[in-house]
Formats: sequence, structure tokens, C-alpha cells
Amino acid sequence: MESSFHTLHEFMLFTESMTYIIIVAALLGIVAFWRFLNGSDRKKDLGMDEGEE
Amino acid sequence: MSEETTAVKKIFPPDRSLYTPFNVVIGAILILGVILSILRFTGGLATVTNLDHNYPWGLWIGFDLMAGVALAAGGYTTSAAVYIFGLKRYHSAVRPAILTGFLGYALVVVSLTYDVGRPWRLPFPFLVQQGTTSLLFEVAACVGLYLTVLFLESTPAALEWLGLKKLRNIVTKLTLVLTIFGVVLSTLHQSSLGALFLIAPGKLHPLWYSGYIPVYFFVSSIFAGLSMVILESNLSHKYFKDKMDETHLKEHDRVTLGFAKGASFVMAGYVIIKIIGISVANQWALLFTPYGAWFLVELLGFVALPCFLYAVGVRDQNLKLIRRTSIIAVIGVALNRLNVCLIAFNWYLPLSERYFPHIGEIGLTIFMVTIGILVFRFIVTRMPVLYEHPEYESH
Repeated sequence: MESSFHTLHEFMLFTESMTYIIIVAALLGIVAFWRFLNGSDRKKDLGMDEGEE
Repeated sequence: MSEETTAVKKIFPPDRSLYTPFNVVIGAILILGVILSILRFTGGLATVTNLDHNYPWGLWIGFDLMAGVALAAGGYTTSAAVYIFGLKRYHSAVRPAILTGFLGYALVVVSLTYDVGRPWRLPFPFLVQQGTTSLLFEVAACVGLYLTVLFLESTPAALEWLGLKKLRNIVTKLTLVLTIFGVVLSTLHQSSLGALFLIAPGKLHPLWYSGYIPVYFFVSSIFAGLSMVILESNLSHKYFKDKMDETHLKEHDRVTLGFAKGASFVMAGYVIIKIIGISVANQWALLFTPYGAWFLVELLGFVALPCFLYAVGVRDQNLKLIRRTSIIAVIGVALNRLNVCLIAFNWYLPLSERYFPHIGEIGLTIFMVTIGILVFRFIVTRMPVLYEHPEYESH
């Protein structure tokens, strides 16, 4: 990740681009994590909890 | 029997022996603490601390204050969840959480009297020189006001115990106002404690320094508070089970699962904003340095890992896993505050000039924690904190 920047524009372009990619990945990831976190609730809703699986 | 005798028996029940292993250890710590306190207030800071011009803030600020305030956040998170967001199923967790918060903040103020060179000047920001442009003024104002709020919020248990019904009913009517006030004040000073470091970009290691540090401190205080409630609830369940009523015992598991879910989600958000912070400042290369490795230990080992373990615990309804995870999460928050205040602070100094706490500082920190545990134990074994007083309806 070593990068040399000659202008502020280059620095901003690189960091902002990286940040936007991370934000998009994070938004998708957090939705997946929320679904993972609520896995037991979904099981309950489907009546699969407590030995019914 | 006179009223005075009854009161004395209430405070010191005669059926309990004073010479238990717990009391002996606690007694030894208290004696040591009193000796260190005398040394501090007669000999000055240099007698019991290693503080110098490079490190005017040491263990007492890094742990007692910064970690103490973060871990005492359980008070505002729990009362906000119950009274503002209407999650009444966690009601039984409110009183112990408020009590833990109140004791935490009270000990922060006591620790400050040890740490500040001239403690009698603590009221000066309000009385002599307001210094309203200083973040420390804001922190002082918020901590002072929030301590008052926590005191008022924790009084119903004491008033029920003392049988002062009228006063108790007046304080109970203020619950919602106090909760809102508490959330506002906590949001302000939890973030301001982080903002204090904005003034030291050259001193704090770039991986920990960020323009977002106030946000980091605030967000981490939320899961610190939730994790502390889980830990405290688990310990109370273990040691004061006989003091808990049916409702408390029934709601215990639900509180653990609910708070773990909340903490896990907030921790995930915290990891994301920390990564965004690195990206915005383009600090990726620093992750491959020794400090970078330490930063990753803190972020991955003490935030991302407990976040995942909480999630697995919630999914599998594994309460044991959640309880153990809360210990990692609490240590993680304390480690973060110590990193910001001490370990990653003045990181460029040679090892010979770095700060390591004096034995007196460590001793007095243990003394403060012990006082907190003792007062908590004194209160929950006597007042209706872990159970509802039969004469009062749930509010």
C-alpha cells in the first residue's frame, strides 16, 4: 500500500476511492452480518428452534 | 427496639462474620490504599507516581478516568433502551446498571482528586475561570452534571430501603427527564474525552490519532457499557443470586442475549469506522510496523473477535460464550483507552523516557476498584437493586 503522491489531488483521489470501495463493502457486509446475527430469530419464526431443526 | 438500633442492624447485619477470606483481602487492600493516600496528599504526586512533563496523564487518567467512564456507560445505554426505546423486557437490568454507572463516575471524581496537583481547585472551572473554549471545561461540566443525574436515578432504591415513599415517588416521576438528560450528557462527554487528544496530533501514534477520535470514543462507550452490564449481571447472578427476585432471574438470560446482540452490532460498526479512519488518512503502511501489529491486536483481537463471538453466542443462545466474551470486550475497551493515553502516546520517545506506572499508582487504582466493589456489594445486599421492593409497583 506504499504510494507516493505529488499533489493533494492525487492523495485525495486515492484515499477517497479506497474509502468509497470500503464503504460499499461495509454496507453489504453489515447487512450480511445483521442476517447472521438474527439467525436464531429467523429459526424461531420458522418454528425450527429447540430440536425442530 | 429503638429505631437507631434497627438502622444499625440494617447496615451491619449481626449474623455475618467479619473474618471471611474476602474481607481479609479487601481489608489489606484498604489499609494499603489509606497509606498510599496519606503519602499522596502529604508528599505530593512525585511520591506515588511516575508522572513527568512528557506524561502528565498516567494510569489514573488512562484507566481510572478514561476506561472508568467508558465502562460506566452501561447506565445511559440501559436506561435509554428501557425508557426511551421502550424495551421494557430489560427493565430488571436498569437499577444494577445505573448503580454501576454511578459508582464508576463517583470513583472517577475521587481518582481525579488524587491526580490533579491541587485538587481543591477542581471547582475552579465553574466558579473562578470558566474557560468555556476548553474541552476539559465541557468534560468537567458534563461529568459533574451526569454524576448528579446518576445519583438522582439511583436514589429510588435507597429511598425505598429507607421507607421514604413520598420522596421516592417524586424522584421516580423524573425518570424520563433524567434519562434524556443522561443520554445527552453522555453523548457529549464520552466523545469529548476522545476529542481531548485532537490537540496532540504529533504525540499520539497516527494509527490511533484521527479526526474521528471523538466518534470512536462515543461508539466504543456504547458496547463498553453493554458488555459491562452483561459482565456485572453475570457476576451478580453468581454472587447475589439469593438477592434476586423471580422477575430478575427470569429476565437475566434475556438481558444477556439482547445486550450481546446490541453490543455485537455496534462493535461491527466500530470496526468499520476504524478501517475507514485508516483509509481516509492513508495509514495502511503503518499496519506493518510493530505499533501496527499492536493496533491490529486491539482491533481484531479485542473488538472484531468479541463481536463475532457475541454473534455466535446470540445465534446459538450460548449464554456461557456470551459471558466469557463480555470479559474480552471489557478488557478491549480498557486496552483502547490505555493505548490512546499511554502506550501509543509519545510513541517516538526512547524506551528510557517512556512512562511506566509507579507501584503507588497501581496500588491506588486497585484501591479505587476495591472501593467500588465494596460499595456495590454493600448496596445490593441491602437495597432493592436486584429485586423489586414489594411495597412499590414497577415504574
